[in-house]
Amino acid sequence: MKEPQSSRRGFLKAAAGMTAVAAAAPALLASQSSKNGNFYGYEEKVVGLASKIKGAGEMDFNYPDVDSPCKAVMVNGQIKAYSLLCTHKGCPIMYNATKKAFRCPCHFSEFDAQLDGQMIIGQATENIPEILVKIEDDKIIAYGVNGLIYGRESNIKG
Amino acid sequence: MGFSINDKRPLPPVGATKKNITCEFCIVGCGYTAYKWPKGTSGSDKRNALGVDFSKQQPALGVWASEQMVNSVIDRDGKEYNVMVIPDQNCVVNLGQNSARGGAMAATLYSKSTFTRDRLKDPQVYGGNNLNRTTWGDATDLAARVLKKIIDNDGPDQIAFKAFDHGGGGGGYENTWGTGKLFFKAIQTRSAAIHNRPAYNSEVHATREMGIGELNTSYYDTELSDTIFVIGANPYETQSNLFIMHWAQNLQGGTIDAKKKEFDRGETAESGKIIFVDPRVTSSITNAVALAGKDNVLHLRIKPGTDVTLMNALFTYIHEKGWEAKDFIKKHTENFKKTANANAVSLRKASKVTGISVSDIKKAASWIAKPKKSGHRPRTAIYYEKGIIWGIKNYENVASIANLAILTQSVGRVGTGVCRLGGHQEGYVRPETPEGMPGRKNLVVIDAEAAEGNYLAFFAWGCNPFVDSIMGERLATSIKRRSDIVKKAMSRNIGADNETMADAIYRACKYDGGLFMIDIDIYPTFKSEVAHVEFPAATTMEMNLTSMNGERRVRLSEKIVDAPGTAKPDCLIAAEIANAIKSLYKKEGNTKMAKRFEGFNWKTEEDAFNDGFAGQGAKMDSQGGPTGVLASYDLLRANGNNGVQNPIKKVSNGKLVGTRRLYTDNKFGTKSGKAMFQPTPQPPMPRQVKNQMKKYEFWVNSGRVNEVWQSNYHTSRLPMPSTRWPIAPMEINPKDAHAKGISNGDLVMLHNDYGSIRVVAYVTDSTRSGELFVAFGFPNSPLNNLVTDFVDPDTKIPFYKGTAASMRKIGRVEDIANTMSFKSRI
Ligand code: SF4
Ligand code: FES
Repeated sequence: MKEPQSSRRGFLKAAAGMTAVAAAAPALLASQSSKNGNFYGYEEKVVGLASKIKGAGEMDFNYPDVDSPCKAVMVNGQIKAYSLLCTHKGCPIMYNATKKAFRCPCHFSEFDAQLDGQMIIGQATENIPEILVKIEDDKIIAYGVNGLIYGRESNIKG
Repeated sequence: MGFSINDKRPLPPVGATKKNITCEFCIVGCGYTAYKWPKGTSGSDKRNALGVDFSKQQPALGVWASEQMVNSVIDRDGKEYNVMVIPDQNCVVNLGQNSARGGAMAATLYSKSTFTRDRLKDPQVYGGNNLNRTTWGDATDLAARVLKKIIDNDGPDQIAFKAFDHGGGGGGYENTWGTGKLFFKAIQTRSAAIHNRPAYNSEVHATREMGIGELNTSYYDTELSDTIFVIGANPYETQSNLFIMHWAQNLQGGTIDAKKKEFDRGETAESGKIIFVDPRVTSSITNAVALAGKDNVLHLRIKPGTDVTLMNALFTYIHEKGWEAKDFIKKHTENFKKTANANAVSLRKASKVTGISVSDIKKAASWIAKPKKSGHRPRTAIYYEKGIIWGIKNYENVASIANLAILTQSVGRVGTGVCRLGGHQEGYVRPETPEGMPGRKNLVVIDAEAAEGNYLAFFAWGCNPFVDSIMGERLATSIKRRSDIVKKAMSRNIGADNETMADAIYRACKYDGGLFMIDIDIYPTFKSEVAHVEFPAATTMEMNLTSMNGERRVRLSEKIVDAPGTAKPDCLIAAEIANAIKSLYKKEGNTKMAKRFEGFNWKTEEDAFNDGFAGQGAKMDSQGGPTGVLASYDLLRANGNNGVQNPIKKVSNGKLVGTRRLYTDNKFGTKSGKAMFQPTPQPPMPRQVKNQMKKYEFWVNSGRVNEVWQSNYHTSRLPMPSTRWPIAPMEINPKDAHAKGISNGDLVMLHNDYGSIRVVAYVTDSTRSGELFVAFGFPNSPLNNLVTDFVDPDTKIPFYKGTAASMRKIGRVEDIANTMSFKSRI
């Protein structure tokens, strides 16, 4: 079933498209984005080193601000990153590296780190927001969030 | 363009319209608050109707609206509004918590830019190969003419109906009353069936006849139980907030202080234990272990169909040990000795039949009935649902559980109860069934009769019989064939006036085997393909609606948006049909018949409430009982999301006061006032099911996945559940999967003598080797295609949970296999 409006999956595809456009025609993107010229108003932020995650398997960071804990993990040979605030009621979710899934200790929602944070089981109404990252010269750069972070009316405060 | 669609939500401004909503989905009936405000206006992060400062990150368990909790709608005034629906922190049922289903209520609203846009908007009549939108006057006139001919010439029993009898979305006291009054008082048909089963019966006749209504305790009491005994249910996924808000507290020891307050002096008060009877390992069981520790959770992994033997063994052993409630049994029960003798079974035999070890049966019995350290009788709450209700034989299954409750006085006392967990909320108030309606042993299996060619007209009202009945595929094929006969007759008369058309329809039904189909629903379904007249209904949030939850808590769920197009509440649709028939009788001067169709002079759903629940008292078959007449919309509104627990005791200072627990006085609902034990021999495997077991390889069990509600009508249109569950999953044990060469995501066909379905394989230890589990209620893979025509002869309740099928691997559809997670859910 295809969703008629911008679905999470659709949004991701759009995101990939836009970064490609950005390389080709930065002026066009700038006209569609916020004051600082970044992706939908998100600031780019270097959050860690890819070489380190490849060893450790996971890495904590905050994005888009200090109040939003996130984790980057290695899955399917790729770095993926997610919000750590459960989309049910905001408890901090825990990563299970064997299952490659997050579990919430409060009411046991689980999210698949290999499938864009899809809820495996649980009480949330949303998948876990994915932090969009790209790698440049070993630097992991966060540049956007797909999905509303728990406890906010807008991912970018102010 | 500042933000993407899903990283920012609008906030209701101070002064936004605010209403109480009761969750439209499961029986728990959680309280929600809805806000509505004109599009283009908005609260700020600091100043908004929620009173929350969103310039700061909100703490866990705080007030928050997720993406699915906000939507935009267009009302009948043509204006656009934002609507937010969030769980209510002040509701004692859910304390601000949502489940995966209820939390998505805002997303279910009719919106032109989402998949809910295909809601039925106007009445439709068949013509020229299609259903065509028309006026209420036109559609009701045509339907009324056909129905009148049938009543006059063939009698009202030739008009069959299958309709909701429940509360919540698509039900409620207003609507059960409206439909009940139409069918039982005005039309007076006895050809009646309920939405999810093929006859007009209760799912719990047994416990009622034993003197115990099926919803007799409160959710608060389950926080106080020493032991919660759960049979055939998976509450984490299907009564979610009861499990995670109330039971979890108890299992974690969070209610010990409350126990001390409520228990007798000196009585042992410890954290609760829980027992599950289930052939599967469910998420409820693994999560209970996470909450209570494995020493406080007992899983009795039963062989399918043997629950009665287990209950009888527990009964026998408890009696043997002298743990029964002797004084209570002597004073307040009857039929004990006879039942004890008839049900006696040795633990060894029971263990062999059920597959549960003798030591586990003993352990369960001691948790349920062995005196506590202080010498007090444990407080046990017993909860059962479809795993037993839709089991091998409905009557004995339920009776054997009630026996155990009476034996241990697990009813009426603080912390006890013997209840169904429930599916929908409740919402029953209807006239008594017409004279001559057969008793429960002789009820007519309406769906089977319709499939065999009986009846001239058939109403499918707020239900999907092709997903929720026995032998679904055969039923659908037969109804389609009979519907086509009528369609052909209609096509031959294109352009005719309603009287000529009604005559053509009537003749096609009467002489050519046709069936005139009337569909009332909120979305198009397979029913639309067979319907000749279709009426669009309103649902929760589009109308004021009263229902009661699993602890008998009645709330007024308020209207906040307009229904799409000209859709109406079901009670007012019933009134339209009744009034149209009345005017035909009036026109021909038949005052006697016109009178039968009187009493539908309702302008609003409140009129129907005042006529039904609040108007009838003990005169009708009402869950409100004699004191229902004390209720009004105003009083219910004043009690807000906490409502009042049936039966209402009184009105005090403008507040309705209700009843927390039933049977506290040990007076039960039998003639003698005593609770009645019932002998419950182990039922044999029905012949039809046995035949399938002989011919086909796997036992097929069924149940729910938490994101999907009922026939998936709303949830298949929401982004998250529709991606998570594009078609019904089939759980298969890794050993069987290996033997069959099946892996996660493979498309599999299940087939038996009754039909076939395609499902997607989900490999998991949840299910034992030799047994499959398929999610129920998916119209695009309806499990009930495989269900036999067996019904319990004593209650006519089907054995939906038991059939057999073989499988054929079909291959892979990558869009299904790659977009849903196959990770363990336990
Ligand atoms: S637990 Fe049931 S009533 Fe409560 S929010 Fe979920 S579906 Fe609704
Ligand atoms: S807060 Fe995570 S499941 Fe409830």
